[in-house]
Amino acid sequence: MIGLTHYLVLTGILFSIGLVGVMRRTNLLMLFFSTEILLNAVNIGFVAVSKFYGDLSGQMFAFFIIAVAASEVAVGLGLLILWYKRNGSVDLNSLQMMKG
Amino acid sequence: MIALGCIALGAVLLMLLSAMPKVRMEHCSLFAFVTLLIGLILTLTSFGELFTFFPLPKFFHKMLIVDSYSVYFDAIILSGALVTSLIGTHYFQTKRHFKKEFFSLFLFSVFGMMLLVHASELLSAFIALEIASLSLYVMIGFQKVHDKRVEASFQYLVLGSLAGIFFLLGSAFVYAGLGTTILGEMGNRLDTLMGKDVSLVIIGATLILVTFLFKISAFPFQNWTIDVYDGSSLPVSAFMAATFKVAIFGFILRLMLVDFDPIRDTWDTLFIVVIIATLLYGSFLAIIQKSLKRMLAASSIVHTGYLLIAFVSIGYAGESAASSIIYYLVAYFLSAMGAFGLISYIAADEHVRVTYEDFRGFAHVHPYMAAMLSVFMLSLAGIPSTIGFVGKFYIFTGAIEAGYTFLAVCGVVATFVSVYYYFKLIALMYFYPACDSDWKDVPSLKGITPLTIGLIALAIIWGGIGNTFIAYFPGVDFLIDTARLSYMSLFIK
Repeated sequence: MIGLTHYLVLTGILFSIGLVGVMRRTNLLMLFFSTEILLNAVNIGFVAVSKFYGDLSGQMFAFFIIAVAASEVAVGLGLLILWYKRNGSVDLNSLQMMKG
Repeated sequence: MIALGCIALGAVLLMLLSAMPKVRMEHCSLFAFVTLLIGLILTLTSFGELFTFFPLPKFFHKMLIVDSYSVYFDAIILSGALVTSLIGTHYFQTKRHFKKEFFSLFLFSVFGMMLLVHASELLSAFIALEIASLSLYVMIGFQKVHDKRVEASFQYLVLGSLAGIFFLLGSAFVYAGLGTTILGEMGNRLDTLMGKDVSLVIIGATLILVTFLFKISAFPFQNWTIDVYDGSSLPVSAFMAATFKVAIFGFILRLMLVDFDPIRDTWDTLFIVVIIATLLYGSFLAIIQKSLKRMLAASSIVHTGYLLIAFVSIGYAGESAASSIIYYLVAYFLSAMGAFGLISYIAADEHVRVTYEDFRGFAHVHPYMAAMLSVFMLSLAGIPSTIGFVGKFYIFTGAIEAGYTFLAVCGVVATFVSVYYYFKLIALMYFYPACDSDWKDVPSLKGITPLTIGLIALAIIWGGIGNTFIAYFPGVDFLIDTARLSYMSLFIK
C-alpha cells in the first residue's frame, strides 16, 4: 500500500535531484529545468498532504505554484535570450564579471 | 484595503496606458506618483487606530487581513515608493533607456509588497512575495544596454527563485505538520500539539526562515546583495533597500509573533550566530569597498544585523522589541533612501563616478549636497540628533531588557566600526582641497528631486531631536506609540 510517507520520500528525492542540479549545472537553461524539478517536488508533497488530510487548500497551493513557476520562467527565459544575443552563450561562467 | 486595490488598479491601468503611443514617459511617471499619493492618503486615514478584520470574507476567506499593524507597514512602503518616484524623476528623465512600462512594474512591485504585509495565509504570502520579486527582477534588468544590469537581474532571479522554493518546501512541511496554512489557526493548532513531536513544523519553519534570511540578506545568504545593488540602477537599489526589507520584516514578524510563538526558542542560538556573523562580515565587506554604492549595499547587511538583534529579543521583551524593529525600519528607510537618492542625483550623468576618491573636496564645490550627504551618513552611523540614533537606541535597550547584553555590545562595536566607513566620506568631502573631478557634470540643485532629498534630511534631524522644538507636532513619540499600537493589534482575537 502506498501511503503518505512514500509520496513524501519521493518529494525528498526529487528535491535533492533539483538542488544538485541547481548547484552543479552551469548551463542556464538546465538551471531553469532544475528549478522546475524543485517546484514540482514541492507540488507532489502538497498534493499528497492535501489528500491525507482531506483538505483542499494544499491542492490550491499546487495550482498557484504552477502558475508562479510559469511566470518566473517567462522572466528568466526573456533574460536568457537577452544575454544570448549579447554574448552568444548560455553558460553561467560567462556571467562572472562582478566580484562579490 | 482600498489602498491596496487602488495600487493594483493603477498598475493595470498604467500598463494599458503605456501601450498608447501618445502617452509619454513623463505622464506615466506622474500617473504612478498620483496613484501612490492616493494610496498613501487612503492608508493614513486609518493610521493610528486599533482594529483588525478580514476583508471580504466571502471572496478571500481568511487569506488577507487588515489591521493596524499592516496599515503601519503599508504607510512605510507607500511613502518609500512615493519618495522613490520623486527622487527618480530626474534620473529617469536623463537616462533614456527607461520605458513607460517601468512605472507599471514599479506599481506592481509596490502592490506585491503591500499584499505581503496583509497576507494571512502562507499561500497569499508566497504569491505576494513573487509578485514583488518578479517585478523587481525586471526592474533591475530594465536598462538592457548594460551587461551589468542583466547580470544582476540574472543573479537575483536564480537565487531569489531558489529562496522562494525553500519557502514553499517549508510551507509544505508546516502544512504536513499542522494541516493548515492559515495564520492564526496555525498558532492554535501548534498550541494543542505542544508536548508532542513537532519536529516537522520546526523543520518547515526553519526553511521559511531561510527564505527570510535570504531576502533580508543576513549572513550565509548575503553574497548576492552587493552585486545586485551595484548592478541595478540607483533608484531601483534605493527602492529595494528601503521598502522590500520592510515588507519582508512585516510578514515574518507576524508569522513569528502570532503563529510560531510556542516554538520560537528553538532558533535562539541559531539567530545569535547569524547576528554575530552578519555584523562581522557585513562590516568587513563595507570597509573594503571603494565605490560608494557598493559600500551602502554592504552596510545594508550590517543594518540587517541590528534589526535581527531586535528580532531575537522579541521572545523576552516582546512589545518594546517589536516596536523597535518597526521604528528602526522607518529610520533606515529614511537614511538609505536619502543617501541612495542623492548619489543617484549626483551620478545622473554617465561620466560621474562615485568612488570615495571622487568625493575628495566635494564640499567646497557643492556645499549643500555635501551637507545633506553628511546628514545621511551621520544617521546611518547612528550619531545622536539623527533618527538613526533613536532607532539604534531602542534596539539596544530592547536587547538589554531581554537579557542579550552581549548582542547589544556586539551591535555597539559594529556601530563604532561603521563610523569608519561612513565618516571617511565626510572627511574626504570636507578636509581635502577640491580635486579636478568632473564636477561640472553634476546637476545643480534644481527641481523636485533635490527638494525631496532635502526634506528627507530635515525629517532625519527632526526625528532625532524629537518634538521639543515644535509643540503639537507629531514626533518620534508618535511614531513609536503607533508602532506599539500596531503590535497590539496582532493579538486581538
